[in-house]
Amino acid sequence: MSDSLSTSHSPLPSAQPPLSRFRAPRRLFSTLEGVFNEEVFFLILSVFIGIFSGLAVVCFRLAIDWTHLALLGPLPETHSWRLFAVPALAGLVVAALVIHVFPTIRGSGVNQTKAALFIFNGFIPFRTAIGKFICSGIAIGSGQSLGPEDPSLQIGAGIASALGRQLEISREKLRLMAPVGAAAGLAAAFNAPISAVLFVIEEVIGRWSAGILGSVVLSAVSSVVIVRWFLGSEPLFRIPVTTFKRPTELIAYAVLGIVGGLASVAFAKSIGYLRPRLKALPRWTQYFQPAVAGLLIGLIAFLGAPQIMGAGYDSMDQAMHGQYAWKMLAILAVLKIVATTLSFVSGAPGGMFAPTLFIGAMLGGAVGDIERFYFPHLTGSTGTYVLVGMGVLFAGFLRAPMTSVFMVLEVSGNYEIIVPVIVANTFSYLISRSLQDVPIFDLLTRQDGLILPSLEEDRDEAILRVEDAMLPVPNTILSAEEYVDANARRVQDSTEANFLVRMHPTGWNIVSRDQLQRLFLEGKGEHTLGSLLPPQFLPSLYPDLPLDSALRFVNDYPLIPVVNRANSRKLEGVVSRDSVFKRYESDRTPVGG
Amino acid sequence: MSWSFPKLIPRSAPVILLVLTLAAVTGFAAVSHLVARYNANQQSRGRKLYQRGLADSAANRYDDAIDVFRAALTCDPTNSQYQLSLARALRDSNDPRRLDEAESYLIALWQRAPQDAAVNLALARVAAHRGSIEDATRYYHNAMYGVWNTDPDANRSKARIELIQFLLKKGASDKAESELIALATALPPTPAAHLQTAQLFAQAQDYAGELSQYEEVLRLDPSSSAALAGAGQAAYNSGNYTSARGYLQAAVNANKEDEASNQLLATNELILRNDPFVGHISDVERNRRIAAAFAQAETRLDECGQQKGIDFNTAATPTASPLIALQSLWTEAKPDLTRLRSPAETDLPDAIMDVVFQIEQQTAATCGQPKGVDLALLLISQKREAANR
Repeated sequence: MSDSLSTSHSPLPSAQPPLSRFRAPRRLFSTLEGVFNEEVFFLILSVFIGIFSGLAVVCFRLAIDWTHLALLGPLPETHSWRLFAVPALAGLVVAALVIHVFPTIRGSGVNQTKAALFIFNGFIPFRTAIGKFICSGIAIGSGQSLGPEDPSLQIGAGIASALGRQLEISREKLRLMAPVGAAAGLAAAFNAPISAVLFVIEEVIGRWSAGILGSVVLSAVSSVVIVRWFLGSEPLFRIPVTTFKRPTELIAYAVLGIVGGLASVAFAKSIGYLRPRLKALPRWTQYFQPAVAGLLIGLIAFLGAPQIMGAGYDSMDQAMHGQYAWKMLAILAVLKIVATTLSFVSGAPGGMFAPTLFIGAMLGGAVGDIERFYFPHLTGSTGTYVLVGMGVLFAGFLRAPMTSVFMVLEVSGNYEIIVPVIVANTFSYLISRSLQDVPIFDLLTRQDGLILPSLEEDRDEAILRVEDAMLPVPNTILSAEEYVDANARRVQDSTEANFLVRMHPTGWNIVSRDQLQRLFLEGKGEHTLGSLLPPQFLPSLYPDLPLDSALRFVNDYPLIPVVNRANSRKLEGVVSRDSVFKRYESDRTPVGG
Repeated sequence: MSWSFPKLIPRSAPVILLVLTLAAVTGFAAVSHLVARYNANQQSRGRKLYQRGLADSAANRYDDAIDVFRAALTCDPTNSQYQLSLARALRDSNDPRRLDEAESYLIALWQRAPQDAAVNLALARVAAHRGSIEDATRYYHNAMYGVWNTDPDANRSKARIELIQFLLKKGASDKAESELIALATALPPTPAAHLQTAQLFAQAQDYAGELSQYEEVLRLDPSSSAALAGAGQAAYNSGNYTSARGYLQAAVNANKEDEASNQLLATNELILRNDPFVGHISDVERNRRIAAAFAQAETRLDECGQQKGIDFNTAATPTASPLIALQSLWTEAKPDLTRLRSPAETDLPDAIMDVVFQIEQQTAATCGQPKGVDLALLLISQKREAANR
């Protein structure tokens, strides 16, 4: 995985001509071309990706709003036939479009972007972006219980990928275009650039890489600027006064974290159980699955819970301001899990970010209200618990703990609740991890027959270091300042074939028993050993370096000194080809976990 | 089916950037146009919904109004008027859970325009719903000194009156009186304004202030029977029975059917006829009034005792009822009546009347509010106590 992220030299031959082969038609441009090396050009391109993604997401949001207004009307209506007729009929349309026109839009945008990064060399068909736009717009606008963030992420990634291909940039950069666009799309959808950057790093790229961080940040920021320009800088929610006064109240938030963790597991398991079973049904049923899901969701809405339809941001806002009693909050949380599971497993395109936040918000409000009923001295408002609840589900269900914390902070603009958020999210994340081995995104990719790397697995993987393969300091260390005959006498009693030579004033070299014997026989015994050795020093390693770094040298040198970082003349041990390979053999684990 | 773009863009970095810039500008312009059209449609839809919400609010259908205002806000999320109306509907729906949301909307509006008097007034009303005197007073003051789009003077007066009513309801009479004094100095010269202010003074039990407001009304409209009756009542309540007689008599003359003023005038007359402490009567008359009051007190005590089933002749201990102790007191004081004429006994009238006042007050507490002369004596006692304080 790390190689594929390298921004310097690709081991693979490039299929397209790199940007450095630009033909300059005019003198002015040829002068300017000197300024734009590929790195600089990629950064500038990131800004454009952000702009285009931002524009696309603005249109996407308008499309969802327009569809909703056209199909369901401006007012929330309960007990109206439209509530179940519209999502059912829209489900039929969406299914037909997905099966016949946009077959690549099935599944999670996050995973498709990851697949583009790690498998398809950054390739995301532009048709996928268009398909996501149209089908998600219809599905979400008609009331399917899905959110616009994941499609926005994929629309951004699709635009970036198409632009990269159009510009014929190098494969290295093309591979990175998808996450850059994904960050832009997600940032625009959430109106939260920091969370988007963190999410893309946590879930798409899988590790911190300085080479791409700048581009991701630039694209995210520029897309948010565009969205705010057109749609205003109003946050997703009107944040009420949130308070955290006594440290003992953290227990209440820890309880919320535990409940949220259990709910996350239930949510993830229900999707994980139902999705492959519905996919395994005969193909003709796929025409009706989104329609049936829409019908059932509409029925729930018809029976008195229209809040579960669509992304549900308005209802979250109302929950944040204490508009629902705890029973209603708990019911909405359960119904949203059911509705989102139905929508997602039916193959209706759309994301799970907003539903996750919805479930967390309702659960947080319900748990908070119950806790405050039994412990009236708790000072946290319903709004505080709702906000913390959002982060809890994000951490437990999407398994993005860092993003979950920053998302709550960025959405609320209030750092006073950072400690409750961290505590609750940690409990939720740990509960979710202990009860559900595979994170939801990994589970979905595995169900689709792909194995993609994840940061969570990387974190768990123990990194082998040089010290793990290190042999003890050899008994015989030669000195470059001593004469050859003196050194030859010292090695007489040794059984080793190669000897490290300590150079003056610093550095290491190596000499074999045969070489030393030959020098002695050639009559060079009165020369210092250092004067006869080749001028290139032996490379040395530090004990804490990854063992991978030793691989570059073990074939060239029989012994490699491992030295102290503070004093390079102090030998900590040595590594050899055998010692390194033996260590890798003893640590062998199957690919894919 | 495979879709692919034709290779449109030249392979020179500056040209690429130029083309991308042009594409971005074009996209920006296109989306601007789209958003403008969408916003125009939404705003039009929002206005219709807003009118519907106002109608629902006016008809006290707050649940419907809230839904409609919410829908209007989804059409035009930054519209201050919609937010304000939604906040008002949330506040007025009599659901305590909705106050938080109302406040949230209003705080957001207030942060954008802290000088907006309408927003401050709405926030003050939310604080008043919560019963927070401090917050309500602050926001009402902000509303009074804030910017009103129409009729600022009248709106400021209304805001202050609302604050006074809230303070009176919360029992904060001192603060209410301060506001009343400020209100009285800036009233428009209309009888209605002074009448309303007089009633507020009455609620604050500031009868002098009340009287001055009625006098102001009478200056503007000398024939106002309401002002005459109010002034009479205010003077009566403040213990100024001579002035009260004049106002009440005029009120009765102006409106023969004003039964309340008529009754008050009768009681007022009894007070004036029975009060031994008024300055313009002779010693003989004063002694006569004291003796009459003393006799009236005995009658009242006996009646009250009978009402409560107490036989003063057979009662065992004074601790059995305060009335028995008073009866003993009255019996002890009775011989003093004969010494009233003595010029040396300067404290005796007060001492005898103290017994009378104690009896009237205790019997009022035990047997209920008296009528006629007893009521007059009770009121005289209260006036006397107030004067001593």
